[in-house]
Amino acid sequence: MTASALTRPGQRERLTEKIAEIDWRLCALLLAVAGIGGMILYSAAGNSWGPWADKHMIRFGLCFALMLVLSFVDLRAWFALAYPIYAFALFLLLLVPVLGHTSLGAKRWIFGIQPSEVMKIGLVMALARFYHGISAREAQLSWKLLIPAALIGLPTLLVAKQPDLGTALLLVFTGAGVMFLAGLSWRLLAAGAIMACAAVPPFIMFVLKDYQRKRVLTFLHPEEDPSGTGYHILQSKIALGSGGLLGKGYGLGTQSQLNFLPEKHTDFVFSTFAEEFGLIGCVGLLALYAGVVAIALRVASVSHSHFGRLSAAGVTVTFALYVLINAAMVMGLAPVVGVPMPLMSYGGTVMVTVMVGFGLVQSVRVHRYLEITSGRGSLL
Amino acid sequence: MTVEPSIYFNEVNERQGVFHRRTFILGGLAGLSSIALIGRLADLQVVEAQQYSNLSEKNQFNFRVVVPPRGRILDRNGVEIASNRPDFRLVVRRNEVQDLDQTLDRLSQLIPLTAQRKRQLLREVSIAPRAVPVAIATGLSWEEFSRVAVRTPELPGVTAEMGEARVYPFGGAFSHVIGYVSKVSADDIKKEPNPDQLMFHPGFRIGKQGVEKALDQALRGKPGGQKVEVDSVGRVIKEDPGGDVAPTPGAEVVLTLDADIQNRALQVFGQESGAAVMMDIRTGDVLCLLSAPSFDANQFVSGAPAAYYKALAEYDHKPLLDKALAGTYPPGSTFKTMVALAALEHGVDPKRAYYCAGAWQFGNHTFHCDKHHGSQDMHSAIVTSCDIFFYNTALTVGPDRIADMARRFGLGQIFDIGIPGQKKGLVPDTEWKRRTFAKSNPANMKWFPGETPSMGIGQGYTNVNPLQLCVMVSRLANGQKALHPRLIKSVGGVEQQPPTNIPDLPVDKAHLQFVRAAMADVTTEGTAKATGQLDLGPLMMAGKTGTAQAHSYAGGHGAHGAVGAWELRDHAWFVAFAPYDDPRYAVSVLVEHGGFGADAAAPKAREIMRVALLKDPELRSRIEKPLILDTPPDTPPPLPAGTPA
Repeated sequence: MTASALTRPGQRERLTEKIAEIDWRLCALLLAVAGIGGMILYSAAGNSWGPWADKHMIRFGLCFALMLVLSFVDLRAWFALAYPIYAFALFLLLLVPVLGHTSLGAKRWIFGIQPSEVMKIGLVMALARFYHGISAREAQLSWKLLIPAALIGLPTLLVAKQPDLGTALLLVFTGAGVMFLAGLSWRLLAAGAIMACAAVPPFIMFVLKDYQRKRVLTFLHPEEDPSGTGYHILQSKIALGSGGLLGKGYGLGTQSQLNFLPEKHTDFVFSTFAEEFGLIGCVGLLALYAGVVAIALRVASVSHSHFGRLSAAGVTVTFALYVLINAAMVMGLAPVVGVPMPLMSYGGTVMVTVMVGFGLVQSVRVHRYLEITSGRGSLL
Repeated sequence: MTVEPSIYFNEVNERQGVFHRRTFILGGLAGLSSIALIGRLADLQVVEAQQYSNLSEKNQFNFRVVVPPRGRILDRNGVEIASNRPDFRLVVRRNEVQDLDQTLDRLSQLIPLTAQRKRQLLREVSIAPRAVPVAIATGLSWEEFSRVAVRTPELPGVTAEMGEARVYPFGGAFSHVIGYVSKVSADDIKKEPNPDQLMFHPGFRIGKQGVEKALDQALRGKPGGQKVEVDSVGRVIKEDPGGDVAPTPGAEVVLTLDADIQNRALQVFGQESGAAVMMDIRTGDVLCLLSAPSFDANQFVSGAPAAYYKALAEYDHKPLLDKALAGTYPPGSTFKTMVALAALEHGVDPKRAYYCAGAWQFGNHTFHCDKHHGSQDMHSAIVTSCDIFFYNTALTVGPDRIADMARRFGLGQIFDIGIPGQKKGLVPDTEWKRRTFAKSNPANMKWFPGETPSMGIGQGYTNVNPLQLCVMVSRLANGQKALHPRLIKSVGGVEQQPPTNIPDLPVDKAHLQFVRAAMADVTTEGTAKATGQLDLGPLMMAGKTGTAQAHSYAGGHGAHGAVGAWELRDHAWFVAFAPYDDPRYAVSVLVEHGGFGADAAAPKAREIMRVALLKDPELRSRIEKPLILDTPPDTPPPLPAGTPA
């Protein structure tokens, strides 16, 4: 868009202009990944649209539409809503222990939504909003950095308490990612990393619940308990390994079809895919995900506003973490922490979060020339 | 935020620059992570792919063991002695059943299932290994079987199997030789070095006795597999007939026995107890190996009822004991053939005669004879079975020479005939006494002279089994070779112990002929005159009777023969060969506590011999078309001079 400076005032506010500015390559990639997801869910159900594939595709369609709508939302509105959304999410998180609905031993739901999912977007926006207002020097090393640390720490603790270890880790890593992108001093980063590593053993021993500790220990020694907790990892590795170079063929994955693979349609959907499409298929799928990440990062880096840059990059970091942690998990490289494969795993909440995130990314792209000069967004 | 932070242009650029650098680094990290993940994937999907592929197949497929048909056991003419019949049974597999209680309830509407049996099944299934089937019912009728078979979809985990069960068509005739098969016991599994899956299958039976036990491995065959696809909880999704491995049937075992002869032998014994052994004296093939009374081996296949087993075990005629191999008895007068041969070899003149007055004083002991025979030489003493002659002759020859001769004829010896369970018996000599009593009773180490007369008539320590006596007669009749009995003709088409390289019988041929001639007279004019006649034209049988004391008569000569309490009566023996002029078959018959050999044993030997002779086409042609020739083909050589006619 070299001619970008030559637009007339108000031209970019026109809907047709905005539609043209939407990144359709990104849309195509998202569509491709979700389509593959639907295809795998169809196969996992024994070549049937029910009970997963049909709902998955309908949800994606709705979320895709939501993303397009969100693309048109002015970046200043996002900017202005950053803190309120964060505060709202934090409030809901505080309410969860009181009013939450217990499911599978954990209180994560309230009013039909998971506040932790709202927080994933809210945290990114709040951090971006915060860094938008401080200088590069301050972002590197200053007392002001206690604010983002608190912004990250509070919801993380609340989520970990639910307990939802996967989401808590995701929040920490996302927050750390945004802080890093904003220019956090290497020394502080190193110190933080060392402290985090040092905190892991006592955290595992004293803070984790029994079942969580078991998962971690099983991850370290999966062979010790092949029919108990290690079963998931072992069966997943069998599914992956037996897929070989070219896979067993679509609809012919025995591990998934015969239910040896647990959670074949949710957390372990990647294993289902890998069994049927092999290494070639996996590399292709990861390439699609890499494409999404690359385009989203590119969108972030061409934004004229720091808020736009950081929020788009933050969302991308979250998305990339989902993919990397889930893939590592099913390959036996990370503990089973319940992080799904975005857009492929069956489940509505994550789909909504991710697509709202990409709505933000698209909005950043559509409004990339927009300068946000005032803390008070001009819309408000 | 009330105060707008003053961010200058350069700072704005700096923030953007930092962001770009950091984005580049973060993107690089993500890229590196992806490459690491792809590396891991390549490791799993290419390097270790085979291993995981195997694991996946192991998940996906189970093999249900298919029991191979057990090898048949045939007689020398191909008659089935042990075979298999179709057996319809229901089995249940623990890993495939969901609610056993409910399944059994449904089953009980289709086939009779008592509440007690149901409880027993619930317990059995709960302790059975996951994939090992448990039999719910066996020996179902076709109607019951098909009634269940069409409803198996409603009975998850239950399989209607068409298997095979062992059947012994002749019931008892061969029970001791071929033994029987029975359910696998915990001990059987412990004994096996690495018990295969087959042993846990309810349709499998293991050989417990005789040929079934000795050749169990060969008879078993190799199990097949029925390939089935299972899901994660072990439910069978579908069967994969293409992957089935057909079982290899067990090897067929052919015995040297002749079913006709064996059956006739059982028949002639009736209710009596004893044994009959017949051998082909040209090859050593055992044609008959019977122990009576017998039991129905079929009862043991599905587990003999306790009452049946108890009755067998408690019956004083000992039906469970194989008397032909494991019963040892004093040979009685049949042993006189050995004493005579030893005497001839020692140089005793066969014309030397002793006077029999019915009793004979030796030291302070009176030895008795059945009758008052008068003057007896060796030939007539064999014919009349005079004890007095043999008391004296034994004293002349001595126990060691008699024992040496007896051993040359196979007495006191165990023959490897391929099945276990033989008892050695005993041929005593001075060395044996020295060795045996050295520790227990040194005063008895010496061979007392008074023991020799007893040995001379096959009593005292002397003990043999019916097989040994049959070998003795076979070697006597053969005259050339020290024949060895053979029971297993072939296993899986492979000939066993072919009768080659039989060692020579180191005995003077003229002496053998002398004894054979005397035995010929036993049936024509001697002790078995009334009972040893074949009545088959020119074919004559030569034999020797024996009446062996079953216990020592306290205070001298008790009542002989078939009088008194059964268990105190004498054992009756008859050993014989025929035809006399061209010997083919040798037989030994023992009738336990049967009384006189001539009365109890000889008629049985004759009947058994007749079957063998009539089955032999060559001999049959001699009977049916008596030869009218100038020179008889097989005139026996002239008897030694001086033999009374």
